[in-house]
Amino acid sequence: MRLLLVEDEQRLADNIAAALRESGFAVDHAADGSAGSYLAEQDIYDAIILDLMLPEKSGQAVLRDLRQRKLQTPVLILTAQEGKESVVELLNSGADDYLAKPFDLGELIARVKALIRRSKGAASAVLRIGDVEVDTVRQIVRRREMEVDLSPTEYRILEYLAHKPRAIVSKQELLEHLYDYDWEHHSNVIEAHVSNLRRKLNMADTEPLIETLRHRGYRLREDAL
Amino acid sequence: MTGRASITRRLIVAVLLLEVLAAIALIGAVTVHERKVQYEAFDANLRSHASTIFGAVQDADDVGDNVQLELRGLKIPKRAIYEVRDQRGVVLGSVGSVPLLDASPESFEDVNVEGHSYRFFVLSADRIIDPGVDGGIDRQVRVIFGLPDGHVWHEVMGAVSFFAIATLLLLSLTTVLMIWLIRKLLLPIHELAGAAEAIDTLHWRFDAPASAKEYAELRPLATTIEDTIARLQRAFEQQKRFTSDAAHELKTDLAIVKSSLQLMSMKRRTVEEYEGGVALGLEDVTRLEQTVHKMLTLSRLEQPKEAVGQNCRIDVVLQDVVQQSRPLAELRDIRVALALANVRVPLDSRDATLLCSNVLSNALQHSPEGASVDVSVALADGVGILTVRDCGEGIDEGERQSLFLPFYRGDVSRSRKSGGTGLGLSICKAICDRVGASIEIANHAAGGAVVRITLPVVEGQKPGAAVSSLSTAGMRADRHQS
Repeated sequence: MRLLLVEDEQRLADNIAAALRESGFAVDHAADGSAGSYLAEQDIYDAIILDLMLPEKSGQAVLRDLRQRKLQTPVLILTAQEGKESVVELLNSGADDYLAKPFDLGELIARVKALIRRSKGAASAVLRIGDVEVDTVRQIVRRREMEVDLSPTEYRILEYLAHKPRAIVSKQELLEHLYDYDWEHHSNVIEAHVSNLRRKLNMADTEPLIETLRHRGYRLREDAL
Repeated sequence: MTGRASITRRLIVAVLLLEVLAAIALIGAVTVHERKVQYEAFDANLRSHASTIFGAVQDADDVGDNVQLELRGLKIPKRAIYEVRDQRGVVLGSVGSVPLLDASPESFEDVNVEGHSYRFFVLSADRIIDPGVDGGIDRQVRVIFGLPDGHVWHEVMGAVSFFAIATLLLLSLTTVLMIWLIRKLLLPIHELAGAAEAIDTLHWRFDAPASAKEYAELRPLATTIEDTIARLQRAFEQQKRFTSDAAHELKTDLAIVKSSLQLMSMKRRTVEEYEGGVALGLEDVTRLEQTVHKMLTLSRLEQPKEAVGQNCRIDVVLQDVVQQSRPLAELRDIRVALALANVRVPLDSRDATLLCSNVLSNALQHSPEGASVDVSVALADGVGILTVRDCGEGIDEGERQSLFLPFYRGDVSRSRKSGGTGLGLSICKAICDRVGASIEIANHAAGGAVVRITLPVVEGQKPGAAVSSLSTAGMRADRHQS
């Protein structure tokens, strides 16, 4: 999952980005509203964390422009402003959630995950693909009640696919959502990760869960769903 | 009724009291006057009756040339008492018991006769008989005539009662009219109070009712309230903005500290990672501490000044401050040029140091590496002028006033990234405001920003010579020499 963090306070941004990366997210950071707006409109993020008081362009303006362009990326607002009115205003103008500063990093991560789940149409924190369970909170994968030991990247690939059950996900898309700016450096490792993932998920009498469509990408098998 | 004093009640009571006093005085005067008039009429009546009786004294046609009283055909009032005597003292005629009077002729006397108050008139005149013979014979006659005067008092009391009743009616009418009039006149005050009552911290708008502005007496009050409310609103909004900005600032600093600690505790880390985290956390806490410290300083400066009479040499303070800023200036290879005159200003040295160091560090922050900052203190037209000029990027003209607002960070260099709390210039402004000094920022024609502070000087100040002109307190020069 790739996130955009728009926050002008460098120290806070560093801490949030580090925490999110440790939780398995790819994070891009923009230090002002204009840069944030530009990046957000690339439509490659699974969620955006947006501060309100930003230099050059306010958080409200970034949000408004994003929604005017019909981009539905879930947005979580970080605010140090008081008052319920502004919260209601924000939610009405297209924000999906908000957190007041000083917030809890754990809560921020949990809320971002919930936002992404909701935006992908999954209500539960546990995604099911046939007999495979992906617990997005504890980041644990089970097949037939047996825990499957996955690397962080393998887990992130599986979670991303699980969020898009019938769609074909290209290698490019996976790269964009799993890595930060420098995703091109990782382009050749995706295949290796998918191959490992497929192998780890396989059991004696099971069909491969992930199918490869030549030149197109990957997809969860129809019969597994 | 509550125990509150009421202007209406007091006014009505005062007016009525005055009216009652006036009525009493008037009734007294009326009584005196009426009595006088009635007695004059009564006395005229007495005199006329006495004269009539005197007229009835005729020649008796006897040997002794005496006189006699002939009352036939005369109308004498029923309750009249009279007595007519001739010169010998012989009673010519009398009715009722005439008391012994010591009154002189042509005078009136009040006497009680058998329980009734009577008024008597004594007439003494000469009756001439046989006027044809040797000039006539002179016979002196004395007539005492009296009538009960009880009805005179009755008449007086009648007139007075009529007057008293009329006054009472007038008083009642005045009271009713006055209550109506006062209520009508006080209505604009009630409306004004109503409009003022509607003001609270959410609704500051105050428009004095038109009725209150119609009256010359109320207009000053209405406009004063309007002005005061507008002033209070501005102060309140400013305070609210400051509180909100301060909360925002503190929350952001707290968010940094909290997230740093949480990040460290998310998983087990190496000793180096912990050490790095603690160092950063300490930096964050120091920043938070600085923000709180500056907020408290600003709050202290905005309180009314407690001590008077403290003063200091601003040029000396500036030299100290420049000396203290040495490491920062050296780090960025900035030269500080000083041109200082001896100027004593009414600031205590703590505030003066704060003022100078804030302005100087602002200039140093905005200067590019290798540039110079010009600092001067001069005395002109009885005021001290402190200017600090940097060779930075200057200011946005539109922000000239906003720059002094707490937490205002117009440009990027004033943002948190530069380490500023956004309170430095607000603190400078507060220090200046306390002593009636002014501070302004402008762009220099040759580039960079100039901060100009105009300070009042302490009495007895004489123009002093520059203690150092373009001195080498400038760091670059010093460093290069050493």
